[in-house]
Amino acid sequence: MNPILVLLRKDFSLLLKDRTSIMITFAVPFAMIYLFGLIFNVNSTDSGPSGIPFAVVNQSDNPAAAKLVEALRTEKTFKVITEVKVDAKTTRPLTEADLRPEMRADRYRFALVIPKDVIRNDAIGLHLKIYSNPRNDIEAQMVNGILQRTLFSNVPELLGQSLQARARSVIGDARVSRFNGSIASAIAREFGGDEAEIRSRIDDGNFGFDRLGAGSGTQSAPTAGVQDVLSRIVKIDTEQVAGKDVKSPAATLLVGGWAIQFLLFAVTASATALFREKEFGIFQRVLSAPVSRSDILWSKFLYGICLGLIQLITLFSAGAILYKIDIGGHLPLLAVVCVFAAAACTSFGMLIASISPTPESARGLSTFVIMLMSAIGGAWFPVSFMPEFIQHFSRLTLVYWSMEGFSQVLWAHATLAELMPTLGCLALTTGLVMGFSVWRFNKGRMFV
Amino acid sequence: MSESSAIVSARGVVKRFGTLTALDGVTLDIEPGEFFGLLGPNGAGKSTFMSLISGLRSIDAGTLTVSGAGVAAGSAKARQALGLVPQHIALYADLSAETNLRIFGELYGLSGSRLKARVSQLLEAVQLADRRKDLVKEFSGGMQRRLNLAAALLHEPSLLLCDEPTVGVDPQSRNAIFDYLEELNRGGLTVIYSTHYMEEATRLCSRIGVIDHGKILAQGSIEELLAQLPFEEEIRFPSLPETAALAGELAGNGELATVDGVTRFRPRPGYALSTFYTLTERHGLPPRLFTSQRPTLEALFLQLTGRMLRE
Repeated sequence: MNPILVLLRKDFSLLLKDRTSIMITFAVPFAMIYLFGLIFNVNSTDSGPSGIPFAVVNQSDNPAAAKLVEALRTEKTFKVITEVKVDAKTTRPLTEADLRPEMRADRYRFALVIPKDVIRNDAIGLHLKIYSNPRNDIEAQMVNGILQRTLFSNVPELLGQSLQARARSVIGDARVSRFNGSIASAIAREFGGDEAEIRSRIDDGNFGFDRLGAGSGTQSAPTAGVQDVLSRIVKIDTEQVAGKDVKSPAATLLVGGWAIQFLLFAVTASATALFREKEFGIFQRVLSAPVSRSDILWSKFLYGICLGLIQLITLFSAGAILYKIDIGGHLPLLAVVCVFAAAACTSFGMLIASISPTPESARGLSTFVIMLMSAIGGAWFPVSFMPEFIQHFSRLTLVYWSMEGFSQVLWAHATLAELMPTLGCLALTTGLVMGFSVWRFNKGRMFV
Repeated sequence: MSESSAIVSARGVVKRFGTLTALDGVTLDIEPGEFFGLLGPNGAGKSTFMSLISGLRSIDAGTLTVSGAGVAAGSAKARQALGLVPQHIALYADLSAETNLRIFGELYGLSGSRLKARVSQLLEAVQLADRRKDLVKEFSGGMQRRLNLAAALLHEPSLLLCDEPTVGVDPQSRNAIFDYLEELNRGGLTVIYSTHYMEEATRLCSRIGVIDHGKILAQGSIEELLAQLPFEEEIRFPSLPETAALAGELAGNGELATVDGVTRFRPRPGYALSTFYTLTERHGLPPRLFTSQRPTLEALFLQLTGRMLRE
């Protein structure tokens, strides 16, 4: 046989025996393609983020305002929250005063207040108030865009209703009714159409504003020109609840996300070096000295924490130089988060080393899991962009909690007490995973 | 030998790995200052026994003590008393010779000037003082083996375990290692040396335990072991068609075995060698075909197991 073909067959034979290569060649990209497809709703008409918690406080008794809330509820981007928990069993309606502390605690990052004076008395138009905690630039931009579209899709109808309501209060029901009937009759006569239907739409406040340049369909997004008109009619007050003085929120996430991802690679490589030490007989020598297995494992664990702390602080310092991330005033708490994050990452590395039979399988498994955790944990793009069922899994990743900690320190300027839940999650993860890993190491063949 | 004076004392030691019994009732005593050889083929149980002495594994049955202390519990006293030279080059290849020795010395609790002095002494002793700053990965196999030995001696153990420490070593380095081990032994260090090379065991060991399939088949000095053989001389000749008739006639007068095209004849006690040479003349076979030699450990192993050490 041709030597090229012989050598070609040899390479395929070796590939088939190498499960790690097969995993990295096929399984990892397949999983990523699948995940990204889900995130970006490939081949789905139902695109965009979904289920972003969005608080709405409706202070108005105008039916049009209630209708706006309903419109927001039907928008799949948002999970509308109108109540706040009093205790485990009871809730009460959300008030504007609840918003700031709740948003600082990151229970939701966007809120709309429909004030009592939603219908402006001094002119035709609406008055709304939006609170935001835009710690993720990309998410905030997308939410603002969708919120604007939703509002402006409903504003024309609201304006019509406000006109109708105002007219009824000023000239009375009978006169408004007669006026509407005359208008409907004139439209049907001059332009055609069913007079009764036209009358019904006018009574509902639908003067067809929503069709101004927007094509057909009541939920279609208004065009730029119409938006310009509407934006002058709708007065929106905005308030940023947190991070007003943060110069570069995007850089915080960029550095945090990539630093954690590569820290995971680094500490996993360090943990899987255990295989090499075993292969070289170093454990045999070390364990014959007055050294225990747990000494070896704890030294690896502490090494991972030190490496992680140095790496994270170095990368955030680089971020401070390159992108003006303000770490100076938050260094102690940032270091605390880095230590907890590094501990969690190291425990993950130890887990991979403890459950993998060979260094090759450890490498394949760690590549797969690290990329998966980075993707769904929010290192690459906001968690809110993912389908809701994946968002549940995001909270099970240490990438998510590490990035949460970085954001809390660098964006929300959280105190140590406020950081405790996040640090607790990282510590719990570390404890459970390290405990399991040590058990596996003692049961396995690493040290014998 | 009294049990109390032995530096290593094994009584009915059993070690199993699943269904495989790696050590099956090993009983032996090794006295302080001995150079004890553990001779057996690959898979005989030598490394397993070494790992039990060094506390890396626990025994399943029997008792095993080092310096009077049980090693199963991994006692610090027992570990401090021994140095292990593993079969592998158990060194950090990306670190220098000196750094490696410092690390292993510190693991045994050495520090400061004592550590520095021991590192220098041992680098001198294994002839690597001028390469102390070089990375281990840049060393030849022989140099790495010498450093591997030095790393086990930093804390001045009273017992040195050498698990096939010359695998893959060039003759020059092997001799350097042998010379150094002999010097250490003369200085009072007890050495347990596992090997499947009978030449190494013959040269180095004052007493040898022959092990196979996890059992000690025989133990004693070389003279004591060879005395167990039922012949004093072994005659070898090539297995050729013209020697076949001779082999047939010898069959009833001793042991005949053919290995690798060579027939080995071990006369039964009382068989006169003059009878043998008369036979060769009768068959017209020239004397150059025949060699005779004193029995070796190889012959003993063959006698005990029916197999060669290499198999």
